[in-house]
Amino acid sequence: MSKFTKEMVDSYADKLLIGLTEEENNLVLNEFEIIDENMELITKIKDIEKVTPMTHTLDDFTYELREDEYVESINIDDALSNSDSTEGRQIKVPNVVEVTK
Amino acid sequence: MMDKSIKELHELLISKQVTSDDLVKESLQKSHEVDEKYNAFVTILDDAKGVLVNDNYLSGIPYGIKDNYSTKGILTTGSSNTLKDYVPFFTATAVQNLEKCGAVPVNKTALDEFGMGGTGTTCHTGNVLNPWNKKRMCGGSSAGSACAVASGVYPYALGSDTGDSIRKPAAYCGIVGYKPTYGLISRYGLFPFASSLDHCGVLTRNVEDAAIVVDAMKGKDDKDLTSFDSSNMHLHASLNGNVKGKKLFYIKEIVDSSNYPNMDDTLKEHLANYFKTLENLKSLGVSITEVSIDKTLLQAIPSVYVCLSCAEATSNMSNLTGIIFGPRGNGNNVMEMIKDHRTKGFSPLIKRRFVIGSYILQKENQEKYFVNAQRVRRLIVDKMKELFKEYDGLILPVGTGPAPFIDGSTDHVNNSDTSILEEHLQIGNFGGFPSITIPNGFINDLPVGINITGNCYDDENVLNIAYALEETMNYKGQIAKENNHE
Repeated sequence: MSKFTKEMVDSYADKLLIGLTEEENNLVLNEFEIIDENMELITKIKDIEKVTPMTHTLDDFTYELREDEYVESINIDDALSNSDSTEGRQIKVPNVVEVTK
Repeated sequence: MMDKSIKELHELLISKQVTSDDLVKESLQKSHEVDEKYNAFVTILDDAKGVLVNDNYLSGIPYGIKDNYSTKGILTTGSSNTLKDYVPFFTATAVQNLEKCGAVPVNKTALDEFGMGGTGTTCHTGNVLNPWNKKRMCGGSSAGSACAVASGVYPYALGSDTGDSIRKPAAYCGIVGYKPTYGLISRYGLFPFASSLDHCGVLTRNVEDAAIVVDAMKGKDDKDLTSFDSSNMHLHASLNGNVKGKKLFYIKEIVDSSNYPNMDDTLKEHLANYFKTLENLKSLGVSITEVSIDKTLLQAIPSVYVCLSCAEATSNMSNLTGIIFGPRGNGNNVMEMIKDHRTKGFSPLIKRRFVIGSYILQKENQEKYFVNAQRVRRLIVDKMKELFKEYDGLILPVGTGPAPFIDGSTDHVNNSDTSILEEHLQIGNFGGFPSITIPNGFINDLPVGINITGNCYDDENVLNIAYALEETMNYKGQIAKENNHE
C-alpha cells in the first residue's frame, strides 16, 4: 500500500496556494511512489552525511557588494501601463487587512 | 538568406549586397511560415526594422529570444498562462548586450512553461512540432528556439538550460546548443527556474556562430552577483581547429552496451554512431579514454536533479501571485485570489513539479532529500573536476536517440534502465560546466547529437574541440527537411 494519499498530495499543493483537480492529484499520486523510490537512491550513497552540501555552482566566486549609490527606480508611467487595475497615479491592490465586524 | 551563417550574412551586409531591412523582412516572413507549421513562437515582432550595420558580426542580423528573457515593452510570458499578458519594463542583460552589437530580435520563442520541461509540449500556446518530422517533439525547454534555428528563420536564438534545455533540443533538431560556464552570461532578466542550475546560452547551426554570439552576450554584470569577469576569454578568436594531443574521456557505465541488455535497434544505432564519431576525433590526434565511475553515483543524477530543481522552483515561483504579475485571481481575500490565480494559471505538469518541491521542502524531508541531494551534487561535481584535471573534456551521446513522438510523451519521471543516458547532461548544470551539443548523424531520418563538456572557465577549449569535430562531419549549417513518412 502506498505511503502517499490523496490528502497528502492536496496538503503539499495547498501549502503553495495551488489547488489540484482530481485528475491532477492522481497524476502526482501515481508517480509519487516512483519519485520517492528514486530519491531514496540519494540516501544510499556511503557516508553521504559527511559531505558538505553544495549550495553554489561555483566554489570560487566571490560576493562583491555594489557601491551604495542612488539609482532611478521604475518609471511610474511604465509601472502604471503594466497594470490593469489603476486609480489615478496608483495601482489598486486587494485588501490585505481584513475588517472584522 | 537566413540559411547562412553569421559571418556569411555579415559579409553580405558589409559588401552592401543585402540590407539589414532585407534580412529582417525575410526572417519575419519565415517566422510566420514556421509558426504556421510548427507553432514555435509566442510573439512575432512584425514591426522589427533593420539597423545601420557596423563592424560587429551581429549587427543588422535577426535573431530570436526565448520567451523567458525579459524584454522591455515586449510581451514576455515564460510560456505560462500566469504571465500571459506580462510586459516587462526592463530588458535582460544578455539581450541588452546583443542590442549594443546591433542585433535585431524578430520573435519570442515558445518554451516548456517557465523552462520546466523537456518536451516542448507544455507551452501555453500549444505543442512545438519538430521541423524534421511534425509527429516528433523538439525537446525542451528551448523548443521554439531550436525549431526556429533548425528551420532557417535566422542563424541563432537564445536559450536557457537548467537540466539540458538547450543541449537536448539542439540534438533533436540537428543543430548546435551551447551552455557556457555558469556566470559567463548574466542571468539578470532571465525568469528563474532553479537558480543554482540555470544558465543562459544559445542555439545555432555551427560552432563558430555559437562562439560569436556568446562572446557578445557574456560579461560581468552588477545585477547578477554570480556573473564573473571574462574579459580575458575570447571564444571566437580561440577557434583554430587544432586539437592534436587533446584528451577526452567517456563514462563506461553510460555508453557501454552491456548496461542495456534490452536495448532496441534505435539505441544500438545511436551508440554505434557515437563510437564512430569518436573515431573522427581520434583521426585528428585526440586521445579518448574509457573511464569507470561508481554507478550508484551516476544513478543518483536524475534524482538529485529532481530534488534540487523542484525545490528551488517552488521557492522561485512563489512571487507568481497574480497580485504583482499576471492576471488577478478571484476571491474574497488576498490568499483566495492568489490561490485562484495559481490554480488556474499553472499547467498540470508544472503543478506536479511544485508538489514534489513542496514535499522535499517539508521540515521532516529537508535533510533526507534536499540537503542530501546537495551533498551528492558535490560528490558528482568533485569527481568530474578530478577527471578534468587529467582530461580536456567528457564526450557522450545526447539522450537515447532521436526526438521521441509527441503522442505518448509524458515528461514524467524516467524510471527506466536508460535514465542515466537520458539525463547525464544534468552533470553540466550541477558543476556549471561549459557544455556543447553538435549534430553527429541521423537515425531513421532524424538527427541525433553528441555532447562535449569541460571544466569551468575552459569554454575556449570545449568550443575548439567541438569546432574541430564539426569539420569532420557533414551536418554543419544544416536546415531541417521535413520528412513525415512515419
